[in-house]
Amino acid sequence: MHFKIKQERVCTRMPSLYIHVPFCIQKCDYCAFYSHSLVDSPEDLISVYLEGLEVEMTKRQKDAPQGVSSLFIGGGTPTALKAVELERLMKMIHRCFPMNEGAEKTVEGNPGTLTDEKLTILRRYGINRFSLGVQAFDDSLLSAVGRIHTARQAREAIGRLRSAGFDNLNLDLMFGLPGQDMILWQATLEEALSYSPEHLSLYGLMLEEDTPLYERCAQVTNNQTENALQLDLLPDDDLQADMHEWAVERLKQEGYRQYETSNFARPGYDCRHNLGYWRGADYLGLGPGAVSCLNKVRWKNVEDVRVYENCLQSGQSPIDEAGEEVLTLRERMAERMILGLRLEEGVDFILFRNDFGEDLRDIYRDVLEHYKDKDVFVADNDYLRLNPKYSFIANSILRDFV
Amino acid sequence: MDALSFIIHRAKSYNRGRKLVEKLRGIIPRQMFEIPIQSVIGNKVIARETVSAMRKDVLSKCYGGDISRKRKLLEKQKVGKKRMKQVGNVEVPQDAFMAVLKIDD
Repeated sequence: MHFKIKQERVCTRMPSLYIHVPFCIQKCDYCAFYSHSLVDSPEDLISVYLEGLEVEMTKRQKDAPQGVSSLFIGGGTPTALKAVELERLMKMIHRCFPMNEGAEKTVEGNPGTLTDEKLTILRRYGINRFSLGVQAFDDSLLSAVGRIHTARQAREAIGRLRSAGFDNLNLDLMFGLPGQDMILWQATLEEALSYSPEHLSLYGLMLEEDTPLYERCAQVTNNQTENALQLDLLPDDDLQADMHEWAVERLKQEGYRQYETSNFARPGYDCRHNLGYWRGADYLGLGPGAVSCLNKVRWKNVEDVRVYENCLQSGQSPIDEAGEEVLTLRERMAERMILGLRLEEGVDFILFRNDFGEDLRDIYRDVLEHYKDKDVFVADNDYLRLNPKYSFIANSILRDFV
Repeated sequence: MDALSFIIHRAKSYNRGRKLVEKLRGIIPRQMFEIPIQSVIGNKVIARETVSAMRKDVLSKCYGGDISRKRKLLEKQKVGKKRMKQVGNVEVPQDAFMAVLKIDD
């Protein structure tokens, strides 16, 4: 079936808003995102974070004079905050960035950290979408990658979310976990489907440098080649590809559309916030380690809660200068292609020309010519799309656009 | 492929050809399509191996905080690929050519 979806025009007057909550109960072994394990952190760190965030929010209101298009509170584990801390966070967002009731407002959270009180607070402040980090419904798989919750807690969390009135629920699942075979992967996805989530994000495990899982693999293989890191420890590429392929077909049978390489949704439940990223819209990121992209400039805040707060309280910028870049035209075009081709809708020819002043078929003539007889791209008058059968090896093709 | 051609006594041709295709199979990386590797004398194939098509080469996640890093990663990988010799549609690393010289090692 062919879907034709009208792309929203990129609007720099209403960026999306991302709030980074850099705290987890305990970091998972595979995670490279910036966050602090609360078990090892000083007691005042969350308070310091909230103090700094309030100053940043007040200052950054001017970057969204007409408001923000969507909200995403991510991390870390936002629901690791205590109820009173969560309420403080929601109050300051509500004060600085009031939003329409219909706007998408998402919070991420993990099983084992949800309480009825926290969920009531979130609902009271208009949170209408929840993204739950399940990963697997098998305790041995969860503990193999340092997840601290159990499968029972994941099931309980889903029930609690539905009881609290969340009718737009995403479940994050991972495949390619240590010790996971096709049977275990299928069992996880089948159980996830039994809860009828509106959205599913399926991620193949990636070994990121400087994570405990990467180090464990490196020790076992004595730092041999990157491929060797996976030998005998993780499902190999072929098995991961089989897992992905099976999941895509299974979800299609259940009425989910793969609207992005790793993201699947029932009709009307695509994540609008993330679509903004993939379509090249502006975004404002607040909190230590958060990334913003406004008016062709991308920057990142320092990844240190105390430095972040000190900067803000003393009137200085919390931006990490090493992470600041003015995007060239070529870079912006490349990003449009590498992100847009991950989408089922593809890249809109007219929007590309309007935004960058040139036809992408002229800019990337050589690339398109190279793949002409290989059935890699699907193009009609409006969009360029990647043939879905190449989505799991998309990087091989996307590299040609950078 | 001329660069991987060599002259050898007929009595040793099969063994050498087999060793070479096995070695190249371990050196040539998986690519978008299946790659047959053959040792040939004239038109006669004396040994054959296949590099199966790549199945996974993808970024699991790419959200707002990842975009620059992932774009730069692709740029770096592209530079790495350029170092390889393109033979038709196949990217062949320099190691492959050294393999011919070292096949008796």
